[in-house]
Amino acid sequence: MQEPEKNRTIGNRKQSPRALLWQRLRRSRLAVWSLRILYGLIFLAVFGDFIANEKPLFCQLNGAVQFPVFHQIGIDIGLLDQTAKFMQTDWPNETYDAVIFPPIPYSSTTIDIPNKLKGPFSKQKIRSKRYRHWLGTDQLGRDLLAGLIAGARIAMLVGLIAMSIAVIIGILLGSLAGFYGDDQYQVSRAALCFNLLALFFGWFYAFKARSFAIAEAGRQGHLGIELLKSILLFTAIMAVANGLIYFVRRWPWLGKKVHLPLDLLIMRAIEVMNSIPALLLLLALVAILPQSSVFYVMVIIGLIRWPSIARFLRAELLRVRSLGYIEAGKALGFSDRHLLLQHALPNAITPVLITVAFGMASAVILESTLSFLGIGIGEDGITWGGLLSDARQNPSAWWLAIFPGGAIFVTVTIFNLIGEGLTEAMGGE
Amino acid sequence: MLAYLFKRLLLFVPTLLVASMLAFLLSRLAPGDSIVSYLKQDPLGTVSSPVELLNAEKEYLETATLLNLDKPAFYFSITSAAYPDTLNKIAIKTRRIMAERLLEQYGNWPAVEKYCWSIRETEATLLSLPDSLTLTATDFKIELRDLYIYHLDGNILSRINKMENILKQQPALFKFLSPDFFVLKNNYASLKSTATPYKLKIPSIRWHGSINQYHTWLTDFIKGDFGISIFRRRTATDIIAPALFWTVVLNFSAIFLAFAIAIPLGVWSAVKKGGRFDKTTSLALFMLYSLPIFWTGTMLLIFFTTNEYGMDFFKGAWLGNLSRDLSFFGKIKKIFPYLLLPIICLTYRSIAFIARQVRGGMTDVLNQEYIKTARAKGLPEFKVIWKHGFRNALFPIITMIANILPASIAGSITIELIYNLPGLGLTLLDSINEQDWPIVFAIMMLGAVLTIVGILLSDVLYALADPRIRFKK
Repeated sequence: MQEPEKNRTIGNRKQSPRALLWQRLRRSRLAVWSLRILYGLIFLAVFGDFIANEKPLFCQLNGAVQFPVFHQIGIDIGLLDQTAKFMQTDWPNETYDAVIFPPIPYSSTTIDIPNKLKGPFSKQKIRSKRYRHWLGTDQLGRDLLAGLIAGARIAMLVGLIAMSIAVIIGILLGSLAGFYGDDQYQVSRAALCFNLLALFFGWFYAFKARSFAIAEAGRQGHLGIELLKSILLFTAIMAVANGLIYFVRRWPWLGKKVHLPLDLLIMRAIEVMNSIPALLLLLALVAILPQSSVFYVMVIIGLIRWPSIARFLRAELLRVRSLGYIEAGKALGFSDRHLLLQHALPNAITPVLITVAFGMASAVILESTLSFLGIGIGEDGITWGGLLSDARQNPSAWWLAIFPGGAIFVTVTIFNLIGEGLTEAMGGE
Repeated sequence: MLAYLFKRLLLFVPTLLVASMLAFLLSRLAPGDSIVSYLKQDPLGTVSSPVELLNAEKEYLETATLLNLDKPAFYFSITSAAYPDTLNKIAIKTRRIMAERLLEQYGNWPAVEKYCWSIRETEATLLSLPDSLTLTATDFKIELRDLYIYHLDGNILSRINKMENILKQQPALFKFLSPDFFVLKNNYASLKSTATPYKLKIPSIRWHGSINQYHTWLTDFIKGDFGISIFRRRTATDIIAPALFWTVVLNFSAIFLAFAIAIPLGVWSAVKKGGRFDKTTSLALFMLYSLPIFWTGTMLLIFFTTNEYGMDFFKGAWLGNLSRDLSFFGKIKKIFPYLLLPIICLTYRSIAFIARQVRGGMTDVLNQEYIKTARAKGLPEFKVIWKHGFRNALFPIITMIANILPASIAGSITIELIYNLPGLGLTLLDSINEQDWPIVFAIMMLGAVLTIVGILLSDVLYALADPRIRFKK
C-alpha cells in the first residue's frame, strides 16, 4: 500500500484503508462483474429451495391453505414435526384448488421417469411449457437445472466451511510464526514443562483412558456428551497446570525464560504439509473415513489448505514488524498480545483476503474433483462434480458435460478474478 | 556446491520422516481387515474340525507375519498399565478388538486372555463332536460364535444363559460340552470379579525398539520394497513400476511441451506489455488456468473421440494391453495416439501458470537499467530480450519446477481416470476402491518423495544459476 494514497481524504472524512481497498477493487471491471456473479451464486445457494422445488410455494389443498416449501424447511431445521400426511402427499401431481409453484417445478432429486436423458432441445413428455427441463435431464430423469442450483449450495458451502477452517488455523499459526519469529517468544521453563506435562496427562486421562466410554457412546449414537466431558476434563487439567505455574515460577531455575523457536516449528509443519500433494492427501484421508459425506470433505479441505494462508500472513507480519511502530509500541511497554492483536494483525490481515479468494477457487476445484472421482461423497448432496461425472457414461448427453462443468468453471474463475482484483487493488503483483 | 547440496539434503530428511509417519499413521487408521482381504475369505468361516481350526489360525498368523502386522506399530507405545505387550499377536482383528474392549472395561489382561482362550477351547470341542450331534449343536454354535464379537456385559451374559439352557435341554450335548462351557462361564465370572480398573488409569510408556511395523515399512521403502498388495497379492513394486511408466511419460511430455509453449508466450507478452497481444493472452491464460482439468478432459473425450457429434478425430480411452516385451520406444509408439488428448489437458493449465510467471519475471527484468544500456549500445532486440533479459528472468522459472511436478501428478489422477490410462493415478483410485491400503500409502509416499525431489531439484538449479546462493554461509 502506498502511504500518500492511504491518507487521501474525501471531503473532510479520512477514508479507512478498507474503504479505499473496496473503492480500488471497484475500478476493475472484471472484479466487479465477478462479485456480481458471486452474489448471484450466494442468492441461489441460500434461496435455492424457493427457486427449484417439486413442492408448491403456496397451495390450497382440500380447502386447507398450505406453504409446503416453508413446511419442509421447518422440518429440516427441526422446528416442525414430520407428519406422515405431509410426507405421503404427492406434491407434483395433486389436484389443487389454487397453487403457486416455484419457477422450476422440480427438486434436484425429483425423478421424472418419462424424461430420462432428455436434452434441452429434444422433445420432452411434459404437461405444459412450465414443466420443461430447460437444461435437460440425467439418466435417471432428474432435472439438470435443479441439480445445478442444489450444487451451487454445496459449492458455496465448500468455499465457506473449508476456508473458514483454513483461515482460523492459518491466522493462528501464521501470526505466531510471523510475529514472534524464532527469538521473540519467551516462556518460563515452568510454563513449558507444566504445559507439556499437562498436554500429556490431559490427553491420557481425557481421551486415552476414556477411549472406551467415548467409543461406546459413539456406537450408541450419543457421542456429543462423552466428547464434551472429555474436552472439559482436558481443559480442567490444562487450567490446573497453568495455575500451578504461578506458584512454582519463583524458583530461579523454573522461572528462567527460554526461547521457543515458533517460526522454525511452524515452517517445518508447513513444509511437511506441502510435501504431500494436496489431492493425494485428500484422497487418502477421505478414503479411510468410516462414513462418507460432503461435509467431511469440506472439513478436510480446510485442514489441508491452511499452510498457504499461514505462510502469507507470516510474510506480511514480518514486513509489518520491520516498520518500526511495533518496536515503538514495545518501547512504550505494550504487551505482546496487545501489539499483535491491536496493531500488527489489523495491518497484516487485509492482504490475507487475496489468499482466501484464491483458496476458495482451489477448494471448489478440490471438492468437485473428488465428487467427479466419486470418492468420499455420500448420498447427501448433489454436486457439480458428481453431475459432470455422469457425462462420462453418457457421451451423447452433451448437456451433462457442458453445464455442470461450466458452473464449476465460472465459480472458479470469479474467485480467481476477485483474488486478482484484490492483488491489484493492494498494489502488488 | 557439494556442501550446499548436502545441507539441503539433510534438511529434507526430517520432513520426509514426518511425512512418512503421517502416511503410516493414516494406513493404520484405514478400515477393514487386511488379513481377510489378503486371504479373500475368512478361513475361520469354513472350519469343521479342530485340525482345520488350528490350520486356519496358523494361516492368520502367517499372513500377519507376511503383511508385517504381528509387530508393535511404532518404536514406543503409550498405553495404560493394563495393556499387555502381546495384543498385536492376536492376528484376528475382530477378536483383537473384542479382547481390547474387554480389557478397557476390566483392566485385567490375564483374566481377559483366559476368557478368550476358553471360548476358543469350547469351539475346538464343539468341532470334535461326533457327527450325530453336530446338527443339534448348531444353536449352541451360533451363540458361541457371538461371544467372539460381544464385549458388553449384558450381551455376553444373555449368550451364556442361552447356551446353558441349550445344554440343559440336550443331555447328549451336555456330556461333551459341559466341562469346557463351565470353564468358560467361570472364566467370565472371574474376569468380572478380579477386575483391576485402577490399572487403566496408570499411564505406561513402553519401548519396543526397532522391531516394529513402522521401522520395517520405512526400511523396506528405502530399499525399494513398497510392501504387498493385499488385493492383487503381488508386490507393490510389481504394480507401481508399470504404472509409473505411464505417469512419467504423460507428465514429462506435458511439462516439456508446457515450457516450450509458455516461455515464448510469456516473454512476448512481457515485451509487448500493455499491448493488445498481452491483454488478450493474459485474459485467455487466466481463463485457461481456471478451467478444471477434469471438465476439459471429459469434454474432449465426449466431443472428439466419439462419433456422436461427427468429430471423431482422436483415439478415445485406452483399452489395450501393453506387452512387456516391447522396447521403451516401441511402447511409446504404441501408446502415443492415446496420449494426445491427455497431454493437451495436462499442458494447458501448466502453460497458463508458467506463462504468467515468466511474464512477471520478464517485466521486472526489462525495467532494469542494464536492458536500457544494452539497447543503447545498439544490440539487436533479439539479443537484448533473450540473452540479457531472459537469462536473468530464469530464476522464477526454476522455482516453478518444484510446484509443477507435484501439481501435474495430482492433475494426472483425473486424466488417467477419464482416459483409462493405467498410470499411478488410476492405480491409486483402484486401490482406494479395493481398500488396498499398502498401495495407496506407497503411492502417497512416492508423491511426497517426488515433491521433495522437485523442491531439491529447483534448489540445486537455482544454486547453479546464482552463485550468491552457493557461497552464502
